[in-house]
Amino acid sequence: MTCQEFARVLPELEGGRNFEADEHLRMCSRCWDLVAELDAISQQARTLQASEEPSPRVWNAIEITLRNEGLIHQPGSERPARRWASWELRWLAPVAAMLLLVSGFVLRQHRGGPPQLVARSVQSIAQSQPLVLSAAFQAGQDDDQLLSMVAERAPGLRAGYANDLRAVDAYIHDAELTARQNPNDETAQQYLTNAYEQRAMVYELGMARSLP
Amino acid sequence: MTDAKKLQGGKLSEAAAIERAKQGDAEAFETLYHLHKRRVYSLCLRMTANVAAAEDLTQEAFLQLFRKIGTFRGESAFSTWLHRMAVNVVLMQLRKKGLAVVPLEDTLETDEESPRKEPGADDVRLSGAVDRMELQRAVAELPPGYRQVFILHDVEGYEHNEIAGLVGCSIGNSKSQLHKARMKLRDLLKTSRAEKATKP
Repeated sequence: MTCQEFARVLPELEGGRNFEADEHLRMCSRCWDLVAELDAISQQARTLQASEEPSPRVWNAIEITLRNEGLIHQPGSERPARRWASWELRWLAPVAAMLLLVSGFVLRQHRGGPPQLVARSVQSIAQSQPLVLSAAFQAGQDDDQLLSMVAERAPGLRAGYANDLRAVDAYIHDAELTARQNPNDETAQQYLTNAYEQRAMVYELGMARSLP
Repeated sequence: MTDAKKLQGGKLSEAAAIERAKQGDAEAFETLYHLHKRRVYSLCLRMTANVAAAEDLTQEAFLQLFRKIGTFRGESAFSTWLHRMAVNVVLMQLRKKGLAVVPLEDTLETDEESPRKEPGADDVRLSGAVDRMELQRAVAELPPGYRQVFILHDVEGYEHNEIAGLVGCSIGNSKSQLHKARMKLRDLLKTSRAEKATKP
């Protein structure tokens, strides 16, 4: 068997060999090296399985969809009545403002407004309307309060929400940096909008778990 | 949102989570998601080589799973059921977009795409172990048809008869595409190493 003949039968030898091919391999170091290299690639490929982690956005979106479709419900229907503390009411307002702001961006995007207009809107709001975003950042500083509320209702979930808030804050930080460096880049602005949207979703889910 | 193994102070096994999910338990769904998210997402990412598309497909695969979870009877492993669903979601999406699934003919690739078919006199060895990150980058550069078969077979462990059924090709075609994918990866890895070696 020649090297060319061996190369022709090699695809069919998957997981097995035949006598002639084995004989050729014993005699031919080049083909032997080829087979060894292909086997190394195949073996290393297994390490790629389950090697990547999706962003928190994926679960957030799944959970919201499942709730909207009525497929999931919270365990334990009996909850004691609770009164809203004044600090909770104060904190809800800026979060609601942020949710409205983000949903406004998303709505504008889906209506097909000029992308430059959307990009300028994001930039102009960031620059000229600090009150809304500063309120949002005030809400961001109240992460501990959100986590306390979550922990009160579902103690086992607090750590997960804390991790998600850290992850989404890092996402926002990266997105803001990218947007500042590329103020006219629509993708960078969309990236930033997506980052705020993710944070809003984390708050929304956290608040949903905290409500009676 | 939570460590899947530590719900309310105790472990929730997959079997228990499945039963509770059938009753609509939110935390059971979350447990199942966290148990399987990496495998499903990695599959979607490797097949599409696009993060946003992979996240959307992951979401779709889990939604299909959760909508049908009431029909799961345990005849096969839950992970197998989910994984097969994810593969179907990805392949359907690729077909919708008109992206190449495995070609029925072996000769559709361009000269640039096709690997060298025979060992030649100037064939340089791929020395040293295959680095996982290098391989990951090389897989992303494969033509779509090669990439799909390689991922399904070498990464995810499907057999050729299963791949043939999933993508709609012959077993012989699946074997041929896999071999070409591996040969192409070998070329890409050598090129990558040669480029690194020449950099100061």
